[in-house]
Parts: sequence; C-alpha cells; structure tokens
Amino acid sequence: MNKLDLLQMSLQNLRRRKARTFLTILGVVIGTASIIIMLSLSSAMEQNFKEQIARMGSLTVIDVYSGAGGEMPGHARPGELKLNDETIAEFSSLPGVKAVMGLQYSFMRVVAGKMVGDIQVIGVEPEKLADFDYEIETGRLLLPSDKDTLVFGKNLAYDFRNPRLSNEYMTGYMGHDNNSKPPVELINNKLLLTADMQYGERRPSLPDPNNKTPRPHEVRGVGILKESGDEKDYQALINIAVLRKIKAEDSKAIDRENRTKRNELDKQYDNIKIKVASMEEVRDIQKHIQTLGYQASSLSDMLESMKKTSRTMQAILGGIGAISLLVAAIGIANTMVMSIYERTREIGIIKVLGADMADIRRMFLLEAALIGLGGGILGIIFSYGVSWILNNIAGKYMANMAESTQISIIEPQLALGALIFATLIGLVSGYAPAHRAMKLSALEAIRSE
Amino acid sequence: MTSGKETKVINSGIIQIDKLRKIYRLGDEKVIALDNISLQIARGEICCILGPSGSGKSTLLNMMAGLEKPSRGSIIIRGHEISRMNENQLARFRQKYIGFVFQSYNLLPTLTALENVSLPLTFRGVKKGVRDKQALKMLTAVGLKKHRNHKPAQMSGGQQQRVGIARAFVSHPTVIFADEPTGNLDSKTSSEVMQLIVQMARQNQQTLVIVTHDAGVAAYADRIVHILDGNIAQIENITETREMKNEV
Repeated sequence: MNKLDLLQMSLQNLRRRKARTFLTILGVVIGTASIIIMLSLSSAMEQNFKEQIARMGSLTVIDVYSGAGGEMPGHARPGELKLNDETIAEFSSLPGVKAVMGLQYSFMRVVAGKMVGDIQVIGVEPEKLADFDYEIETGRLLLPSDKDTLVFGKNLAYDFRNPRLSNEYMTGYMGHDNNSKPPVELINNKLLLTADMQYGERRPSLPDPNNKTPRPHEVRGVGILKESGDEKDYQALINIAVLRKIKAEDSKAIDRENRTKRNELDKQYDNIKIKVASMEEVRDIQKHIQTLGYQASSLSDMLESMKKTSRTMQAILGGIGAISLLVAAIGIANTMVMSIYERTREIGIIKVLGADMADIRRMFLLEAALIGLGGGILGIIFSYGVSWILNNIAGKYMANMAESTQISIIEPQLALGALIFATLIGLVSGYAPAHRAMKLSALEAIRSE
Repeated sequence: MTSGKETKVINSGIIQIDKLRKIYRLGDEKVIALDNISLQIARGEICCILGPSGSGKSTLLNMMAGLEKPSRGSIIIRGHEISRMNENQLARFRQKYIGFVFQSYNLLPTLTALENVSLPLTFRGVKKGVRDKQALKMLTAVGLKKHRNHKPAQMSGGQQQRVGIARAFVSHPTVIFADEPTGNLDSKTSSEVMQLIVQMARQNQQTLVIVTHDAGVAAYADRIVHILDGNIAQIENITETREMKNEV
C-alpha cells in the first residue's frame, strides 16, 4: 500500500468519529501544553536568575579576601594572610588569570558645595579598570596620571544631602526615581574629600581640643559609571595611590604615634579582584586560591546553586506536566482500542481483500501518531497563547518591581521537543492496539455481524 | 516455480484439495466439520458447493481462502500450498490471485462505491489514477457507473452486491470465491446478480467457486458438489443438462 493512501485512510478514519477524535486530541493538547508551560516557567526563571546575576557583576571575576571573616575592610586579624603586592604577583602567575587588581576601601565624606555624601571610596588601579567591567556613562574613567580625580557610581548623587536641613536626611535612603534630577552635579571641579564625617554639620560651639579633624582634600569628579545594579552604583573610585597619600596625610594629622602601623596597613589591600579568562576556569582557580588559605568567592557559586535550583524546579514542573501527558496517552490508547472494536469487521474485510499485515498495523499506528501530532501542534499554539497572556497580562500585575520580567519563555527547542514527544506518545500508546488489529483473525472479524 | 510444475498444475486443476479434514474442539467434544474431502477444480470452471447449513461447506470455503487451517490434508491453488503459508504470505497471495464476494456485501461504509471497488488495488499499491480508471470500468460493467460516488448506505442490497462483485473482479484474480452471494437478496435481484457474476467469470476464464444452500443459485454452475456432514455426497455435472435446456 502506498504511503499517501495509508495517510488518507487514517485521516478518513479519524474524521469518522469527529467528537471522539477531538476529545482525544484535546487530551493531548492539554498534556503537551502543560509540559510546555511548566517548563517555560522554569526556563523563564532560569533566564531571570542569569540576568540578575549578570547584573550583579561579571561572572568571570573572583573576589579574594584575606581570610575567614575578612570581608570587613581594614580589619585583617593578626596571623591572617595578608593581601599585598606579593599576593597580586602570585595570583597573576596562575594560568587562566587575565588580570589582578588590588583594592582598598575607605568610608569618606564627599562635599559638593552645601551638599555632602558619605560614600565608600575605593582605591583602584586606573589602568586595570577596563578589565573589571567598569564602564563609563558620562565623563571619563580614571587615568593613571590622575592625581585628584573621582569617578562615581550611577546612583551616588542621590545620596547627597544638605546637612543643615535635617529633615532632608532620609531622602537618600528612601529610594528615588531614576528620572528625577539628582540633588548634585558630581562631574564638578570643586569637590572636597574628607575623612571628617562631621564636615559641614553644625558643630558644637566649642570644638573639642583633643580631637584634631583631618583636613579636606580638593578633588575633581570626572565621570559617572554606567548603572550595574549592584554595589558599584553606590561606590566612588579613586586612584589607589592618591587614596593612600590622603590617608597617610590624615593619619599624620590625627595621630603621630601610630604612624608606622598605619604605613604598614596602607601597603595592604582590603580585597583583590581576579579576572579569569573564561567562565569554565573560574571554579578551578577559585578552589586553588581557597586551598592557599584565602577567602575567595565569585558569582559562579551563585550561578551553580541557581542552576541546581532551576534543575530541581524543572524536574518538578516537568513532572507535573508529564502526568497530564501520561493521561493523554492513556486516552489515545483507549480511543484506539475502542476504534478497533468498532472496526473489527472492517479490519477483517480488508484482510480478506489482501491488505498486508504490516499495512494494517501501520494504518492504526498512523492514526495514533496523527492524534499525537495534531494534539502536539495545537498544544504548542495554545501554549504560546498562554505564555503570551502570562507575560503580558498576568506579568503586569505580578511583577511591578521590574519592567519586563518574563514569567514564561518557550524556547523553540522546547516546542519542537514537545511536538516530537507528543507524536511519540501517540505511537507508543497506539502500538499495542495496532498490533492487536493486525493479529485479528480475518474469519472472526468477518463473522462478527 | 518451474514452468514444468506450472503446466502440471494447470492440467490437473487450478484448485487441488486432497484428503482435507477439519476438526473443531468445543470443550471436550470434537466436532468434525470436514471429514475427508478431495476435489479438483479446473481453470475457468464455475463450481458450486451446495449443502444445508452445518454441512461444512463454509468451512471448506474458508480453508480454500486461507482463512482457516486444515487439521489434515492439503489445498493447492495455482501450485501454492496455501495451508502452509503464514499470514503475510496469505495476504500477498490473496492480493494477487483471489477475489471475494460476501453474503453481506462487506463494503466499507465510509468509502464510496468507486473507492470500495478500488480497495484491492490500493492494497497492491496501484496508483490512484490507474486504479480509479480500472474501478470505474468495473463499475460500468456491473451497471453502476452513475452510482460511483454513492456510499453503501445510499444503495440497495442488489446494488451493494454488484459493487461487491466489481470489487472481487477488479484485480483480475484467478479464483473468485462467493459465499452465499444472494443470501440477502430477493429472488429477482438474486438472478440478476447471479447472471452478472457468472457472465463476468466466463468473460475472462476465471474460476468461480460459489458456496450456497440455494439450489436455484447452484443451477448457474458447471458442476455442483453436494456436501453433507463433512463429506462429498455427490458431484453433479450439469453443463450438458443446461445446454439441452437452452436448446428447447
């Protein structure tokens, strides 16, 4: 029997019992759609996770601190490993490492006219900034030749306040609208940087004679960084050499006795960032550094645990979807069995008329596969519809925090996979009935009146 | 198959039945449907197997068509021992050499008259254009050209049986088996159908085996084999008798 005739016959048989065929296909539609939608939820979740993590910073950067609990800057405990130029040299020599940068953290006050901001000022090596994904939005990045320049995180300007107006104090912490104009213009040649956290406040009328306040230093703001979504938005960058010089001058002014200790401390780094050439190498290098006794972390840790979570999610959601497809498979098998009962006589007739055994089986298998395929196609269409509704209507109500969080993402390979799977389900559940049809005794079949 | 064997087969009859026996087991009881039957049917012969119900005539036909396996003995059609064929071989064999006319027509209800007639050709893998042409020719021969697009439910019993006959002859089989072909028809339609079926078999020298309990139907045959209780009771050669009648 030629293939076209076979197909035509199968289609004709499906058309005979429209209601039954429709209901069986509906079962497959629901089954396929539930798998696709469930998996689309988890792939959207994974996508969102990835975007979130990517927003937090580069996935190829490892952060190294001096030891357990060393995350608090400037609090290296005695006996702990120190982060200094030797450490940097050591890390730089590791294979797969692209760049290493030492950083020093300092909490200082920046003064712009009447406005002040208490800011984490980070000493960095200007020539390495580009390697660590610091990107400029307005103005320029730090240059190695800069003596007195600052570059600010995107949202820092909103943290400035006028210390003389106490009721304004909270505005910086209450969040802000990105479209509103920031209270200060930070690209400004007349900024002051000071370790005196009371600078510009109303001071008690009699200054404390024992407390010498450090002198403010004149600096220039030259650039604003692109928004990154992480702590970089709230940090200011300065050439580490300049930061050390300022600190040295300040400590000279405050406290002459501890000078040597400070000098030693100033040669250390609070944090070393390592840029790795590729994501695959991050884990190995991180492990190696940990075995050296340092504390090392990277976003790949997070990525890994995120992947685990999403795999579990996928298994659970996919499992729920699979159950409904299983039910649909039983539906197909049931329909095929019923159809064979109904057509016993016909099967007998075509057998007596010389239909090949294999053709009979093929005919029934094809019917079952067509139910699977048809259900699969409609299921995909239905899923895209549901996905659209989830993203465009339900998503608007649920996700007011982010502008375009996708709740459901149907990847083309998911849709294609579901289609193939639905067809296979049809074939598998049609196999036993088809085999049975083939094995029917022609004589018995003709006798059944 | 060697050509020598072929010649021998044709000489000694297209259907050779030798010591055929069929026993059914119903629980502990054995029922002998066919006892010991030997019969040869020649090419182009119209042979009627006549007997009351329960005589075993249908069992004999079923075995000749390969629908049942004999308990003992052999059936050779065109040199092929059909009792030893498996289901697939039988299907091929039926496609090529066997046509069937049933008592209850057994047309497929979803197909039109034309599609029903072309069904055996479909199983052979004949292309649609070719088989439609042949099927239409057959329908014309049975006088149902106008009804080619009718479904079985839209036709009378006689018309349905004529479609059945067209279907049986469409692939030009060597042997046509007819099982009570007029069993569901009134006497006038019966004689029309019988005339048609005999005429078509004669045209192409095809062998026709009719199973019936109706002596009127048997009258159209060249030879009547009377079956009683699983044995051949009598073989009646009626060709000469009929010729004599026609002359009168």
